[in-house]
Amino acid sequence: MQHEALAHTEDFGGPDQHLPSHPCVPGKDAPYQHYALGAPYDEMFTRGGAVHPHYAALDGRLTTLPADELLRRQQACEQTFLHQGITFTVYSDNQATERIIPTDLLPRIVTGNEWARIEAGLKQRITALNLFLRDIYGDARVLRDGVVPRSMIYGSKHYRREMRDLAVPHGAYVNVCGSDLIRNEQGDFVVLEDNLRVPSGVSYMLANREVVRRAFPAVFRSMSVRAIEHYPNELLNTLRSLAPFHEEASIAVLTPGVFNSAYFEHAFLARQMGVELVEGRDLLVNDNVVYTRTTSGLKRIDVIYRRIDDDFIDPLIFREDSSLGVPGLFNAYRAGNVTLANALGTGVADDKAVYAYVPRLIRYYLSEEPILNNVETFLCREEKSLSHVLANLDKLVVKAVGESGGYGMLVGPHASQKERDEFAQKLKADPDNYIAQPTIQLSTAPTFVDGGVEARHVDLRPFILHGQQTTIVPGALTRVALKRGSLVVNSSQGGGSKDTWVLSE
Amino acid sequence: MFYSIRHVTRFRYSSPVRESVMELRMQPRSEGPQSLRSFQIVTNPRAQLYAYTDYLGNAVYHFNVLREHEELRIEAQAVVEIVAMPPLPGGADPLEWSRYNSYNLSDDQFDLLEPSLFASMTPELAAFIVAHDLAKPKDDPLAALRRLNTTLHQAFEYTPGVTDAQSPIDVALKQKRGVCQDFAHIMIAIARSWGIPARYASGYLYHRGSCQDRSADNATHAWVEAYLPSLGWIGFDPTNNIMAGERHIRAAVGRDYCDVPPTRGTFKGGADSELAISVAVEATHAPVRHEDFLRVARPMSSPRPTPSMPEHLYHQQQQQQQ
Repeated sequence: MQHEALAHTEDFGGPDQHLPSHPCVPGKDAPYQHYALGAPYDEMFTRGGAVHPHYAALDGRLTTLPADELLRRQQACEQTFLHQGITFTVYSDNQATERIIPTDLLPRIVTGNEWARIEAGLKQRITALNLFLRDIYGDARVLRDGVVPRSMIYGSKHYRREMRDLAVPHGAYVNVCGSDLIRNEQGDFVVLEDNLRVPSGVSYMLANREVVRRAFPAVFRSMSVRAIEHYPNELLNTLRSLAPFHEEASIAVLTPGVFNSAYFEHAFLARQMGVELVEGRDLLVNDNVVYTRTTSGLKRIDVIYRRIDDDFIDPLIFREDSSLGVPGLFNAYRAGNVTLANALGTGVADDKAVYAYVPRLIRYYLSEEPILNNVETFLCREEKSLSHVLANLDKLVVKAVGESGGYGMLVGPHASQKERDEFAQKLKADPDNYIAQPTIQLSTAPTFVDGGVEARHVDLRPFILHGQQTTIVPGALTRVALKRGSLVVNSSQGGGSKDTWVLSE
Repeated sequence: MFYSIRHVTRFRYSSPVRESVMELRMQPRSEGPQSLRSFQIVTNPRAQLYAYTDYLGNAVYHFNVLREHEELRIEAQAVVEIVAMPPLPGGADPLEWSRYNSYNLSDDQFDLLEPSLFASMTPELAAFIVAHDLAKPKDDPLAALRRLNTTLHQAFEYTPGVTDAQSPIDVALKQKRGVCQDFAHIMIAIARSWGIPARYASGYLYHRGSCQDRSADNATHAWVEAYLPSLGWIGFDPTNNIMAGERHIRAAVGRDYCDVPPTRGTFKGGADSELAISVAVEATHAPVRHEDFLRVARPMSSPRPTPSMPEHLYHQQQQQQQ
């Protein structure tokens, strides 16, 4: 990575050297004059306007830096991203534009205690979800016991019957998971959704750290922030643990290609791990074994970290018109000659309807109470819930079950009456396809906006690695809704991201 | 009854192609009254064949051909025995409907209640159901399915060429014409709408001279199997308005055609392809069993041959081997 753009950033000394004589009040004093505290939990300030202890060092720095210095550091951050070519493609109706995900200058800080709970909760959740996947592709005990309705699984477009009775290494279906957490008004972390297919964003977690630690070097040093730089290494270890043979495994990252929105990330991870980056056309299957074409002939591949959706991965078995996949790959996988990470068919478990059942799945498989709760969810497939949802459309967020990335959803309080009426029609036509949740006030965190520091809504996406064992690098992608008051943090909908500092205590 | 089945598939390409990958579902199943006595597949160009059993119990063969080729020929040859089953009762027990519950149905049977790509409710099918009074019947399901079999036979003309392998049922429903695949999909969708698990059976039909079959006799055939809790899977052939029985040779079953195409493949190269298929089903004699063919030269009771070498020498030689 290059850091020339930040060469001018100077260290203004330790954060405690320039503490103001009296604290700066949010909503009144610079740089917080536009910082609005309201119903949502705020990451930095208590309801009374006092600074949470773990934000004190950052507060000290923000209140003592000259006003234009923050702006200069923000510009330096942006320069770095442009130089590194960290871009993200936003798909809209008729065109795809390449942008950088705006990275906010200010880190989001998570205490050691908060993290311990998140980590335990996520490990519990991924364990239960993997057991669930093993079950529905095996004995289907959970269906016979009536814990989850059969039609929800058999009717899901992500249920892959081809995966039935197929053994995956260590029973680990979801090897890379990116769960979205939010913090409710009480300050509790709850899970908003599980991304079990091909979650992206981890490269931003890593890149943000590189940039933001240099914007606040002294604050960073003073706070014992836990390291995340070993993520690519942990990913590599996880992939190796899935190899079908014990000898040195040959690993590749399979990307849809340069036009994919996350291509940067695919290339980045392959480079960091020191493994091949391949497209479907670079691979071929001969006699049930997968090879990559190299200048010196064919080279066998044992583990594929695939960033291509199930549907496209093998035109022989799934979508015939897929030009991204590898014909015969699934049969090589079935024969155990190659491992795909994540396994196929994991999408059935991150379906927004199955989401509502995850707390029950944790109790069913682990006989434990969930450590992290869900957001309250109404399943429109249940008649009582549907009438409640229709009557309260102005208060609820309604989401299509099979969609992700903020597509096909209605944010009731922010929609016009006309939009709500139109959505009500869609709901009535196909209630099984929708769930609804109360509009949750995502917590707010200090964000650098127009030369000042304002409160913006944030979520948290940690990345969980699950192979022979479960590993969570102590960090996350914090996504931030850059528009004032907006609750939509998705990068595809114009959100930004923040570096996330997990403290050791 | 013994049948020999010869199923030849030939792909020809307008210019050389490479990296053909292919899956085959053409091995007759061995279960119930049907047992497979012999089976072989030969491909040209030759390829190493691999096999697996899919979750529906179908035997699937697959292979690939890397080098350039202009023609790919697959020849499958099977001998199958089908024993006669006792005739079905005229109707099922009136309580049959109440048996469609979790105690009597397996997960797989529940899965076969869900719509699938080709066998799902469409506005066109809903209109057909109204026009032919095919709403969920009150009498027993076996009698109702028999009526449905006949209704479909009468409502549609058998005309090849109107639909193809990828046609949705609406094409046949609009034209009132189609082939066995279309009729099977329509019957499956209606049976499922009644709450009866139904599946697609792909295979071969033996045409006897005296039978009035509409389906072509040099092609693969398709029909329907519906589940009756007290009777098991029952086969219906709406193309020919008969029950599937001793003349129906089952190769594969699935939710619809998508699960069971006899061949499915991909290749690389910008060529046009031509597909030719030929099927011959013939009644045959029982294949000669190995036990009958081999003549025993030395019965087990005869005295042991004298060792040509003393026992101790034999042991010594063994010990010399490192």
